[in-house]
Amino acid sequence: MRLFALLAVLFFSQSVLSQNLEYQSLLIDQTLKDDANAIVRLDEINIHLNSIKDMIVSKKRVVTVLNKLGDDFVHAREWYNNSVKISNIQAIIYDQLGNELEKFKQKDFKDVSAVGGGTLYSDSRVLYLEYTPITYPYTVEFIVETKTQNTGYIPSWYFLDGYLISTEKSSYSINYSSPELKPILKEKNLENINVKKTETTNSITYKASNIPAIKYESLGPSFNNFAPRVVPRMVNFNYEGYLGKVNSWNDIGLWMYSNLIQGQDNLTESTKSKVHSLIANVTDDLEKAKIIYKYVQDNTRYISVQVGIGGLQPISAIEVDRVKYGDCKGLSNYTKALLKEAGVTSYYTHVEAGNDKVSFESDFPDLWAGNHVILAIPYKDKLYWIDCTSQIHPFGFIGDFTDGRQALLIKPDGGELVTTTSYIDEQNFQKLNATYSLSEDNTIEANIVIKTKGIQYDNHFPIQDDSEDDIIKHYKENWSGINNLNIKEYNFENDFENVEFTENISVSATNYGTKSGERILFTVNAFNNNDYLPKRYRNRKLPLEIQRGFLDEDELLINIPEDYKVEALPNAKEIENEYGSYITSFEKINEEKSIIYKRKLFIREGSYPKEKYDDYRNFRKEVSNSDNSKIVLIKK
Amino acid sequence: MKQSLKLLILVLLSVLYTRAQDYKFGKISEEELAEKYDIQDSSAVASVLYREYKIRYEYNQSTGFEVVTDIRERIKIYKKEGFDYATVSERLYKSDVSSEKESFKNLKAYTYNLVDGNVEETKLKGSDTFTEEISKYYNEEKFTLPNVKEGSIIEYSYTVDSPFYYSLDEVILQYDIPIRKQEIAIATPEYFAFKPNFKGYLQVAPKMSSKTGKISIQNRSRSSDGGFSVSKTTFSTSNIDYIISVSEFNMDNVPALKEENYVNNINNYRSAINYELQYVNFPQQPIKSYSTTWDKVVETIYDSPDFGKQIDNTNFFKNKLSEILANSTTDVEKMSTIYFFVQQHMNWNGYYGKYTDKGVKTAFVEKAGNAADINLMLVAMLREAGLKSYPVLVSTKNNGVPLFPTREGFNYVIASVEINNAIVLLDATNKYSEPDMIPNRALNWFGRLIKEDGSSTSIALNAKTQSQETNMIQATLKLDGSIEGMMRTMYSDYNAYNYRNAYNDVSEDDYLDKLEERNNGMEISNFIVENKKQLGQSITEKFEFSVENQADIIGDKIYFSPTLFKTTSENPFKLEERNYPIDFGYPWAEKLLISIKIPEGYKVESAPKSVAMSLPKDAGSFKYYINDTPTEIKITVNFNMNTSIIGTQDYSALKEFYRLLVEKETEKVVLSKI
Repeated sequence: MRLFALLAVLFFSQSVLSQNLEYQSLLIDQTLKDDANAIVRLDEINIHLNSIKDMIVSKKRVVTVLNKLGDDFVHAREWYNNSVKISNIQAIIYDQLGNELEKFKQKDFKDVSAVGGGTLYSDSRVLYLEYTPITYPYTVEFIVETKTQNTGYIPSWYFLDGYLISTEKSSYSINYSSPELKPILKEKNLENINVKKTETTNSITYKASNIPAIKYESLGPSFNNFAPRVVPRMVNFNYEGYLGKVNSWNDIGLWMYSNLIQGQDNLTESTKSKVHSLIANVTDDLEKAKIIYKYVQDNTRYISVQVGIGGLQPISAIEVDRVKYGDCKGLSNYTKALLKEAGVTSYYTHVEAGNDKVSFESDFPDLWAGNHVILAIPYKDKLYWIDCTSQIHPFGFIGDFTDGRQALLIKPDGGELVTTTSYIDEQNFQKLNATYSLSEDNTIEANIVIKTKGIQYDNHFPIQDDSEDDIIKHYKENWSGINNLNIKEYNFENDFENVEFTENISVSATNYGTKSGERILFTVNAFNNNDYLPKRYRNRKLPLEIQRGFLDEDELLINIPEDYKVEALPNAKEIENEYGSYITSFEKINEEKSIIYKRKLFIREGSYPKEKYDDYRNFRKEVSNSDNSKIVLIKK
Repeated sequence: MKQSLKLLILVLLSVLYTRAQDYKFGKISEEELAEKYDIQDSSAVASVLYREYKIRYEYNQSTGFEVVTDIRERIKIYKKEGFDYATVSERLYKSDVSSEKESFKNLKAYTYNLVDGNVEETKLKGSDTFTEEISKYYNEEKFTLPNVKEGSIIEYSYTVDSPFYYSLDEVILQYDIPIRKQEIAIATPEYFAFKPNFKGYLQVAPKMSSKTGKISIQNRSRSSDGGFSVSKTTFSTSNIDYIISVSEFNMDNVPALKEENYVNNINNYRSAINYELQYVNFPQQPIKSYSTTWDKVVETIYDSPDFGKQIDNTNFFKNKLSEILANSTTDVEKMSTIYFFVQQHMNWNGYYGKYTDKGVKTAFVEKAGNAADINLMLVAMLREAGLKSYPVLVSTKNNGVPLFPTREGFNYVIASVEINNAIVLLDATNKYSEPDMIPNRALNWFGRLIKEDGSSTSIALNAKTQSQETNMIQATLKLDGSIEGMMRTMYSDYNAYNYRNAYNDVSEDDYLDKLEERNNGMEISNFIVENKKQLGQSITEKFEFSVENQADIIGDKIYFSPTLFKTTSENPFKLEERNYPIDFGYPWAEKLLISIKIPEGYKVESAPKSVAMSLPKDAGSFKYYINDTPTEIKITVNFNMNTSIIGTQDYSALKEFYRLLVEKETEKVVLSKI
């Protein structure tokens, strides 16, 4: 009854005020408000492929922001550059009754350069709305239209924007003027949402409604892997004047190579002779490749300049050679040219870089897949990978930026999907050997040797280039559980050949143990104390995913003060389960003046159903508890 | 005698020889290129070998004076981490109301490398420079040098022309990398009087001199003899001589500015000179005065239409004001009513500013504005209601400390009211601030309070009260080392303010997740929070909890810290020494009242002793009282910081204080079986 009265009032007032009842936010379904800071009331995109050189994209987006944290989801903005023009952009703000509060035209939008970090220059710009909310909830209706001649890249569709935002209505439609402009679509994770697909002879439309918000959960799959979305790809397209037709990864490789890569690898005569002098007397191709890679690492740096076709095409090797800088495309292509001159084959490779392993999909050849370029060097039936944007990584080691995922090799005769080097479980290894002596006044003196391999190497070795202040800060933070820590000495060895990093550190600390009358208590595991505890979820919704496994082995020799003896040792532990294992042991030696502590923690990479999450958390809790266990000494 | 003279000459010669550096553009020595690290600072990733920064005025008959800045730098790059110094960008301002803008010209840039013992130079090509339109207020000119590697030396020079002759950019004297030699000169014509303001820890004294300049003015006159004769134009040139005063700063071995933790803004400590225009005095024109003293500064700001006039603008809110003040009689009531009205009505757009952006009237209608729009509106309303209200100019924390009378020194404005001879500070930009509790950004040393007649006084901008956090815990220790119990926490003043800003928009579930995580992964139930939205009240939280692993059970003994999960187990001050003051933001007091029931069958074998200690000058104190009964341990901890800023001279005392505090709080109670 009350609802009816309210509705009647609303209808009544609509006729009096300038009001858009569609955008009132009083009566939104509660399921859309749960866990949401904002609600996408309508997200509509219409793509018109009028010809191979004419695409118009019009978007209408209406967002109701429920609180301050939702402000970031308004997304009233559009990027443009020399190839993409904005033909219309506007926004209207409504209050919760749907009354219009403010209107913004194109000139009211801020126009700024959209240059990101690491980029010297780019012709990309963005128009965005700067609005100070005066009340919550409020609703923003945003309309924008862009026009471009490039038809290679058409926007893919997310039915949900991200975490903590729900969607009331979502509509994605692609209209094409002729059958050859019909894109191929890949649907992902649409099973759990209410979606309807309609197809006519010249259009495809998806409509979805009432998708509730999702909360972020740690140790879960990445959003892209479970979010509902539709990814399009064009078979026939125009990109900056280059026409393309692709049906396979092989076609993409061929198109890329013949249009954008071939001929970019010329070098000056002096550079050619430089190459030959570098590899003089070297016959083995892998050795040659190592020398060339080292030369590139020592002589170039990463600077990105993105203009026009530069989004896909590498700058020519001659240009990079002249200025000695470039982005991933330019530096890879340059290295490839130097290798070619040295008689070594290498392949320019598109890959999706990042900590999350994202593979190119075998059945969906997409020109726009990937965000990074690396090189593959075939040698004796094996591929060696190098990242030419890194000046510090060893030859053949790519770390967690591009490891273990499917990438596209671009060869003169076409493209080929291959998987990059993987670093799995025990390959990500750390060995810690330490000796420490506890004295009566509770101070410790310790010598620590840490050796790391695999991804653990990747995490450790960059420290060698840090300043002394930063190195000391790093250890103090790393061992923050030890108060009053003093780093006395350190040195590093970086074994490029075997990809192994060694840290030798000696430290001291006062008040390491705690005194209680006649007794001293101290934590045995001083230097690899794993206090990591996965977050507790009252109601876990996402599966458990451990992206990378590792193995830690520790061996500590602990000397205790002369006048004390061991009163109690912690219990040894041995846990073995599907996630890995944890083993510790304690042994008194040297007439009980010393203790040997051994520890092994192994975590396996893998995916598990959400029900397993608590189980895994309990395992880590047990590890953390045991890592914190203490030895009790008592005065003799 | 002769001998020693000879020796002296020898010494001099050798000094000359080793110092024989050539600073001419392009004269790079092999020694410089061969250098592996900076002898003065071996951790430097790059060093400026030579820097020239020269400001002068040029006169152009059609456009008048313009400021010309010549910049040259020669930088040695030691490490890859120093490559960033090979990318240069220069911001060029442009007016959004006229076509005036700064221009960039005469760029010359080279990279030098030592290749097989020879100096190889690579020139920057014109096509490798970029102009980026950042916003309607400025462009950025950018370039990065070619062929840069470890060991390279880069050198570049360029000129910036600025039509904004009344404003000089801040002259930076110190970089994040060492500067081996720099020559800085600022030459200003007698018509412009600038006052230099120095900041930072470097001792600098300029060498002053003067010279003469000349302006040539072409006069054109048309004359006609009348009749049918052709009129003709005659040209004449007249010269005006004027005096140029020159300040030179020649500095050697300027150390790098290094970042440290808990510093409010490192740029406050960077050495630099700000030139503030005091007056302009052109021949045959009256003197146009800018600022010299605090009073002048204030006057100039006050006279701006975007400041003083805004306070007089009262018509638009008169009706609203009488409506909201209907039930307020005392001055205090009126102040609160108006303050909370403006705080609720207005929405801060995130911009600072001592001058209004839209003007108070438009801001009132649109319900949004910058700091001046909101706080000058507040002053206007308070005055209209008959209160003694004054604007207070503020330099926010990220703008630095206003040491000298300058207009640019202030970037923010708040309001104040005088009631019963006491001044109350008000800032309505934050939804959770209160009278006399201004946001952290404005808690920065001193502000200037401006009276109606334009006179001003200095006013301290520190927190007036000590913010409290009190935790009361009643817990029962279990035999598995876990504890269960209930906890009550009270947050006052800035602690409540920060709580509201951080959590009032967060859902309760998310907040509890954070709270559980912060307290050793405890599990919380029956959570109640009070006064989350009632400004002026302390926030109280109450909940029941259980948390594992709070005690070590080893053999037949139990060990635990009686401060449980509230134990300060880490000293936040880890570095050996410190160059900048420690800023806590506001004085605070943290109190713990804990009682722990011990498991049956156990007795207290030993317990930490009570202790009290304090910091020098009573800046802080720590008191730890413990007593035990056969079944229970009771502990009270009072930890007070009585000041918001601790100077570097007391850093080691503070670090030691924390060391002892951590040692005490981590001390264990030992229980043993009866």
